[in-house]
Amino acid sequence: MPEGKFCNKTPVDTAEGINELLSDTSGNTYYKEMKELDIDSDLLWKTIQNTCKSRMRTWLEICAHCGMCADSCFLYEVNGRDPKQVPAYKIQSTLGEIIKRKGKVDNKFMRHAMEVAWSQCTCCNRCGMYCPHGIDTGIMFGYLRGLLYQQGFVPWELKVGAGMHRVYRAQMDVTDEDFVDTFEWMVEEYEDDYPGLTVPVDKEDADIMYTVNAREVKHYPEDLAEAAILFHMAGENWTVPSKGWEETSLAMFAGDWAACKMQVESVYEAMERLRPKRMIGTECGHAHRATVIEGPYWAGRKNGQPPSESIHYVEWLAEALNTGKLKIDPSKRIKEPVTLQDSCNYIRNQGLKKATRDIMKHIVEPGYFIEMSPNKEHNYCCGGGGGFNGIGVFRKQRNIALIKKRDQILETGAKLVLAPCHNCWDAIRDLEEEYEIGIRWSFLKPIVIKMLVIPEHLKPEE
Amino acid sequence: MGFDMFKKILFATSATEASDHAARVAFNIARNYQSSLNLFHVMGVPTRGYSQVVIDVKTKEEVAVDEDYTAWVTEEIKTYYENHLDGSFNYTIDVAVGFPAREILRQAKITQPDLILIGGSTGDEDESVYKRNSAGSTLQKVAKAAKCPVLVVNRPAASFWGGLSSIVFGTDFSKTSDKAFDFTMKVAKALDCEVNVFHAIDITPLHTGKMLSQDEIEQKIRESLRKIRARYEPKLKELKAYSMDVAEGIPYMEIVKYARDNLADLIIMAHHSRRVPDEDKRLGGNVEQVIVRAGCPVISINK
Repeated sequence: MPEGKFCNKTPVDTAEGINELLSDTSGNTYYKEMKELDIDSDLLWKTIQNTCKSRMRTWLEICAHCGMCADSCFLYEVNGRDPKQVPAYKIQSTLGEIIKRKGKVDNKFMRHAMEVAWSQCTCCNRCGMYCPHGIDTGIMFGYLRGLLYQQGFVPWELKVGAGMHRVYRAQMDVTDEDFVDTFEWMVEEYEDDYPGLTVPVDKEDADIMYTVNAREVKHYPEDLAEAAILFHMAGENWTVPSKGWEETSLAMFAGDWAACKMQVESVYEAMERLRPKRMIGTECGHAHRATVIEGPYWAGRKNGQPPSESIHYVEWLAEALNTGKLKIDPSKRIKEPVTLQDSCNYIRNQGLKKATRDIMKHIVEPGYFIEMSPNKEHNYCCGGGGGFNGIGVFRKQRNIALIKKRDQILETGAKLVLAPCHNCWDAIRDLEEEYEIGIRWSFLKPIVIKMLVIPEHLKPEE
Repeated sequence: MGFDMFKKILFATSATEASDHAARVAFNIARNYQSSLNLFHVMGVPTRGYSQVVIDVKTKEEVAVDEDYTAWVTEEIKTYYENHLDGSFNYTIDVAVGFPAREILRQAKITQPDLILIGGSTGDEDESVYKRNSAGSTLQKVAKAAKCPVLVVNRPAASFWGGLSSIVFGTDFSKTSDKAFDFTMKVAKALDCEVNVFHAIDITPLHTGKMLSQDEIEQKIRESLRKIRARYEPKLKELKAYSMDVAEGIPYMEIVKYARDNLADLIIMAHHSRRVPDEDKRLGGNVEQVIVRAGCPVISINK
């Protein structure tokens, strides 16, 4: 059977299509159909010829099979040091093979490649740091995902997720109206505690344009209020766009390149329309990678930069604390052993380790902050990156992947883990659910709000 | 009976034993006052990142939410309450996915009920599913942010609710208390019941900073009584029966005792919506303690 009803090469780009795909609970039929799905080898080979450029070809060519990448990969370590989990092997036996065979691969091969691409690599890019040649397997797996997506070999949840971006320009079925409405609702709920709290929508020429993760709107809208409170307390001139407010990209996890472009362009259009001095995204790692680091290239921006200067939430928070825009009451600082999860996407891959350490200095009583080992750019993935968290069919593998983070946390002895990244936050929550090691976890916003010195003129009237 | 204060009721239920006491009150009110009842159940808490999977609040299993599952849960709720849904009042059933407090508030935002009715602690479930993501109970969060009165039925004794004849209104003389008083008066007038206004003076050394002498206590009691008279009596006179009392002790205990002694079938108090400094949590804390301990339903009002 060439194309299935659910599993096929056509992206979903209508709300009805998404609902239909969702009606196939857990993708049961989808995966059955996948076993029959034909490969369009000509298209695959043509795509490779057009898109697999010299960097990746060189990487695949010059890999000396030295195995230095093995120990850098947490999935290799937690899976009994299985040689099949060595990054070089993983990429050579999938992408390398497809290229070697000029796209002439069969269904079984593609399903295997899908499993490797989404359950044996989280695109954390740690191996790239340890390779003597600087070969970054994570980047190549991101590319392989694109090829697999084109041929219809993508986990069900990510086909849904990429479809959401195509339809809603958000990772979930949250409309622009839902976003503005929910933000306003949250601000209203908190305005008694914080007089003057507002959410300025579509304000032109503001200092900050704030973007979020649709899950905040859908499930954790308090996060929106917390962002508003912190901007308000810092006296920032900020705004949110009524369109182009979603910073994340499940399309990136899915390898849906066209949807990646559509999504990021919606944010860039908002920047061009509102002309903010800076764009700040919420506490999310992959969202930053998608919109700030990779996005400009998807959108074909020659300078490799988004239209407005774009920084991560931790950069803004560190700046606000360092410059005294936000003041912490020292008596309310964290006085228990606490550790910090370094998000691969903005710590290793963008070098923001100083920002998060600065924040720790402000909010943790000296002596209570315990680094994980290894840490900063050497830290391991949370275990759920790159879309791994949400894929039902690879849940078992994901739970094994959490072991590295679990052991790192246990080693610190801390019971509180700060995780300024949605993906890490989820993975750490899940690892507590799975392994019950007795930890709590949090984003930074709620922690910081509790210890703020509220300026006299912003205090509620008695 | 023509009583338009409880026309639309949002009954947030776990559809388990934990909500049974609240359910009895909800169905009684709906029957007696011809309310339209919206049974609202949050069936699962999201898990697995962005996926469609939730942890079912009843079975604690991971389930994929789809139309079938939603329909099944709705049917389960109908079956659970089939003895009560006897056609004597209108009802609707809605189910949602998310964190209970937030989804209850979201539903209230959409349906604009006159009253939110909610059970007390859900015991074990609170421990295993809800608390995974949210500090503080569903109840606290709903009571803090709701725009309409929140009626909480926590204890079994509170569930034998035939109707209203005696209300205890607990005041701390705050602005929110004034709003709660206005609401009390409306209910009392509409249902022709008596109102007992009560204020408890906190004499715990933790609050006062020292042991108060008996003279000081009695002085405070006199002052508070004067305050109650000045503030509430002119309006109370519109009722057939009312009383005003002040007692000293641990406030929430005094209110619970007072309600018991007066055979109250409803306690109304203000919930302090404003975030109070850590050292001054006793006001909001009192309502919560009263809810947990009272032998009758408690209405908390904050806006």
